[in-house]
Amino acid sequence: MLGLVDRHWRIKSCIGLLGPRGSLAGSIRTTSLGGWAAIGFCVSSVWVLTILTAACCWAAQTAPNPPAGAADLGRQVYEQKCASCHGPSGQGVEGVYDPALAGERSVAELARLIERTMPEGEPEECVGPEAEAVARYMHDAFYSPSARLRLGLDPPMQVEMLRLSVPQYRHAVADLLAHFTPAPKGKEEAQPVEAGLRGTYFASEGMSKANKLVDSRLDRRLEFDFGEGVPFPDLPPDQFAIVWEGSLSVPETGEYHLRVNTPNGARVYLNLDPSKGLHKLRDDSAAAGQFPLIDAWVGSGTVREESARIFLLGGRHYPLRVEFFKYKEPTASLRVEWKPPQGVWSVLDGQHLTSGRSRRTFVVETGFPADDRSLGFERGSSVSLDWYAAVTESAVATAEEVINRLPLLSGVEPLTKEQLNDPAAKAARVERLQAFVARFATVAFRRPLQDDERARLSSGLFVDPANPETAVRQAVVWVLCSPSFLFAELPATEVGPLPTGLPPANLVANRLALSLWDSLPDEELGRAAEAGELATAEGIAERAQRMLADERTRFKLRGFFQRWLLLEQRDLAKDATLFPDFDEAVAADWRTSLEMLIDEVVWSESSDYRQLFTTSDLWMNDRLRQAWDVEPTVPTGTELKSSSTDDAGTDDAGTDATTAAAASPAQDTQLPAVFLRLRPDDQRAGVLTHPYVLSALAYHNNTSPIHRGVFVTRSVLGRPLRSPPVAIAFENDEFPPDLTMREKVTHLTKDASCQSCHTIINPLGFALERFDAVGRLRDTESGRPIDTRSQYETEDGEMLAVSSPQDLAALALSSAAAQRVFVAQLFQHMTQQLPGAYGPDVLAELTEAFRADQFNIQKLMVRIAVVAATHVSQTPLESSAPEASAPE
Amino acid sequence: MSRTQARRQFLRDLGISSAALPFLVGLPSWSWGQAPGAARRQRLVIFFSPNGTLPEEFWPKSYGVDQPLELSPMLSALQPYSQQTLILKGVHNQILGDGDNHMRGMSCLLTATELSPGNIQGGGDTPAGWASGPSIDQQVRKFLQSREETRTRFGSLEFGVAVPNRADPWTRMCYAEANRPLAPIDDPKLMFNRLYGGAQQRQLVASVLDYVRDDLRRAERLISREDRQLLEQHLQSVRQLEQDMAAAAAQAELQHPEPEIDPTIELVNDNTPLISRMQIDLLVNALANDMTRVASLQYMRSVGEARMRWLGVEEGHHSLSHEPDNNEAAYDKLKRINAWFAGELAYLAGRLAATPEPDGSGNLLDNTQILWVNELGKGNSHTLSDIPFLLVGGGAGFQTNRALDLGGVPHNRLWLALAHGMGDVELQTFGSEKYCEAGPLSLG
Repeated sequence: MLGLVDRHWRIKSCIGLLGPRGSLAGSIRTTSLGGWAAIGFCVSSVWVLTILTAACCWAAQTAPNPPAGAADLGRQVYEQKCASCHGPSGQGVEGVYDPALAGERSVAELARLIERTMPEGEPEECVGPEAEAVARYMHDAFYSPSARLRLGLDPPMQVEMLRLSVPQYRHAVADLLAHFTPAPKGKEEAQPVEAGLRGTYFASEGMSKANKLVDSRLDRRLEFDFGEGVPFPDLPPDQFAIVWEGSLSVPETGEYHLRVNTPNGARVYLNLDPSKGLHKLRDDSAAAGQFPLIDAWVGSGTVREESARIFLLGGRHYPLRVEFFKYKEPTASLRVEWKPPQGVWSVLDGQHLTSGRSRRTFVVETGFPADDRSLGFERGSSVSLDWYAAVTESAVATAEEVINRLPLLSGVEPLTKEQLNDPAAKAARVERLQAFVARFATVAFRRPLQDDERARLSSGLFVDPANPETAVRQAVVWVLCSPSFLFAELPATEVGPLPTGLPPANLVANRLALSLWDSLPDEELGRAAEAGELATAEGIAERAQRMLADERTRFKLRGFFQRWLLLEQRDLAKDATLFPDFDEAVAADWRTSLEMLIDEVVWSESSDYRQLFTTSDLWMNDRLRQAWDVEPTVPTGTELKSSSTDDAGTDDAGTDATTAAAASPAQDTQLPAVFLRLRPDDQRAGVLTHPYVLSALAYHNNTSPIHRGVFVTRSVLGRPLRSPPVAIAFENDEFPPDLTMREKVTHLTKDASCQSCHTIINPLGFALERFDAVGRLRDTESGRPIDTRSQYETEDGEMLAVSSPQDLAALALSSAAAQRVFVAQLFQHMTQQLPGAYGPDVLAELTEAFRADQFNIQKLMVRIAVVAATHVSQTPLESSAPEASAPE
Repeated sequence: MSRTQARRQFLRDLGISSAALPFLVGLPSWSWGQAPGAARRQRLVIFFSPNGTLPEEFWPKSYGVDQPLELSPMLSALQPYSQQTLILKGVHNQILGDGDNHMRGMSCLLTATELSPGNIQGGGDTPAGWASGPSIDQQVRKFLQSREETRTRFGSLEFGVAVPNRADPWTRMCYAEANRPLAPIDDPKLMFNRLYGGAQQRQLVASVLDYVRDDLRRAERLISREDRQLLEQHLQSVRQLEQDMAAAAAQAELQHPEPEIDPTIELVNDNTPLISRMQIDLLVNALANDMTRVASLQYMRSVGEARMRWLGVEEGHHSLSHEPDNNEAAYDKLKRINAWFAGELAYLAGRLAATPEPDGSGNLLDNTQILWVNELGKGNSHTLSDIPFLLVGGGAGFQTNRALDLGGVPHNRLWLALAHGMGDVELQTFGSEKYCEAGPLSLG
């Protein structure tokens, strides 16, 4: 299976992909293969060797001094000192040094390497200007991707046509419907959006529950214990009702569980349609056609717990409404909790609640088969029956949603009684619905409709004038099952580039939306396209820059970091006797803490990649502070911060001065969920030492220098690793108990066949040995001091002493390969294509620009988005149509 | 059932994912034809109308084991089925505790147990919550579903007609267990989709696949050779999907084709007669296709204020039921209302009688026990005594064509008799135990 994938990939994507890319594919594959994951020690394969990792011999030749011409010099040096092992044009020499000289290194990097290592055994033979000249010659003659393309050594890579990936499909359907959903209107429009929900408090009388408005306030935390008392003095203690309204911000895609705990009556509406009006508290649980997610309205004399599950799409806000009433029960209390996909039960609070209003988001719940990941990142590169069945199923569900909300989405009301017998009114309604489905298709297809498509959406489907709803249903199903929706870039007609050399504006908009949002262009982007703002590269960059602020971009980037840091689907469970303070809740908090660290770096103004490796603070909340026994004092110069990305609710002391007195004790000013920026020790180096990363890259009962070392080698430093020649399982029990982990690993990898890679891996992993399996700093292991010092050979052949995470950070920051692999991975995550498909030098150019931009990640995202958006395919179409496969 | 849940059900029924197949063919009762000598298919239908009856117009003139039943004029619609009818007087809902009589009348009717204390205030008495136990139809469902030979796809179906969309002790009579009311589905479209959604959705999908094929063919001409492979895969998937759907459709073919439902019908008061007939058609069809053997059909709710303009009645039903007996106009209207319910019941019985059992052993009514129930004995007194229990059909094997005056027995014993009649003979008590001491009523 793996082999097949590899072969396929090699053929399709050409063999010129070396080094960082190869290593990337390999490193991510480890996480997706159960069999491999079980063998803790194995490092999966790259199939293409670079010249740079293997030992090679160098035919020592003494040459006369070369002439002065630089290009000539380079060629002459190569011919004299290199060609005997590497072949006259770098193709390799069988039996001497087989692999071709090819890769992504810059001239300077090559020169450094040659100076330090070549000719083998006598590096002093080629240094200074000579090394630089030969590096330049090699680079331009046959080493670089563009040289290889020119020489026909590598076939040109193409941007592959892809279908929407599963996340793209879900976001696109959600935004397609959002496009037609009016923004919720409300009186409180003018009020600032704050963390928490707006609660309105009513006195009741009899079963008239919202009899009299008494007061309202912002409630930060949905946990109330009013006891026998009242939230406000003017409320009658035996009868009152409360309605909370606002939005729930959802960090990731998946199943969310919610539950309500109360002895009274309560309902939770989540992802309701606020435009439909749900103004006052009603006995009617399905007021205005809205269905509560949890209905615990009717009491039963005891505290009840009711729960429900809901599938939500991450990176979005969902309208939330909680209703509560007390009627003659002795006490009143309410707790609303949730459990996110990778989290634990916790009370909903200002971390995820905002007082702002949001639109209903239609979420496709259908399960889809996983996208292809053979290149190390998910792409919609295959179509299967399972996938298409899922598409069909969700199209039917979407059609149901459209029909249920037809007046709201289409603006077309049902016929009134009088109109029922009025043919003109009926015809007018049909016409308006036809116009609606045409707009629906245009947004879904991201292009103007063809004439025959228009015809389908009018006379083609609307055959029964008495029942246009059926036609709307069919139209929705067709649109969502059509390749024009499912394939991101399916042309409707033959369109070449514009005279400017850029693609048509609607295609640019489409690509921007996909690379930054995983979704469809929104109205604003559509307008920008129409207004000609996407007709220049500058205009496109400016638009991409603005799109960064969207929550969906942040969500997409969060996904990138999860992938980059190998944090997807990680099981962090630890041995409870060894690590009693580390449980699911702590793991979930560390996850939040890591996200905050990354968000802070990425979304600051400098957006400096380097800070990912230099930040020395950790975000910690109460639970984490207790687990680590860290003083909960706020260090000077640090501020309180909520982890919600919109930064709402940062101030905890001020806003509610007036209502704080009325708040129950649960509404304390110091929320348990608040994270503080703390420095628990002085050993931290950003993501490299974040406890979540270190815990993920460890065994349940011990550290794993190899997992950590491989991560640093590949994902951070961008160095390729071959697959282990033999798979060796790590059996902790087989070692004498008094050995340190370092000793065990050293013993296990002592064979020469292991050493070619483990001389790189082990020093990097050992440098992190002062952090235990849950990422906490330690001084000893089994009572013995920890030795973190090693000699590490850089990719340029330089030997460096490394002993601390700061040393690793310094390596990362000084390594061009590290930067390149970061750029490549971000590129792949955003575009779902390999950078080489956009041109042989795209990766080098982007990496150079990244450096010039002071490693600004936001600017890099913009640059990548522009590359993808402005690409013009070089492939000519086949002149004649292919013979359509035989119709059945 | 929330809309989401309902939708999930539809999708499972769609038959385009392999997960659907067990629901179509995996259940033994799904296959047609019955082994000779197999037990008859006993079925149960609870038929509810609210706000009490008019005792003078409901109860027959004479009672007795050997007296053939003489239906009163208000019930004349049931005349064709009087041979299969049993009327039970003197059966009381004796459940006390929290909640007003309407609440207890409704939520203790089929559960025969007390309400939980709660926060819902009726027109007097103490506030209350949900019933503290399962209802008899769900008890029977559980029994039938526990046995391979009587298990069906749905187990039970809860139909409603004009039930307001609110959940409280006045609107719920069926309970899966304590504090777990079951919401009746009063939208024929929803119920239709629940029963036959798969077929409908297959049709919907099939109706646009030709378009998709055209799209794919056109697109092929506009893309490079390398990229065509993906579209070819797509085209193959479309074909495969069509074949699978055709196969699923064939497997799901019903012995009794689904009834026609006007998809545009609006759920408004004035459409109630139409909706009632649609629901009955769907109910009978579900029984005939053996999708379920237990069903309930709930008209409105306790304290329901349906305005039955189709009977020339403008006032709300509940308000009318409060009028004193000497208000002749109100009395006459209530008579028309209850006669209309009798007519709907007769339609149900007639549909069942007209549907033969698949093995040729009589018709569905012979094996179906219909129970007409009401939450009150009499509207203007709010009494829970002398609930007008009227049983039609042979499902439970009771002796019919007679009326019995049992003189005042707790209705728990009727439910015990019903459970035993449906085969659950081990059941010792049902609902509040203290009312079960004398065991099941003897009705055989």
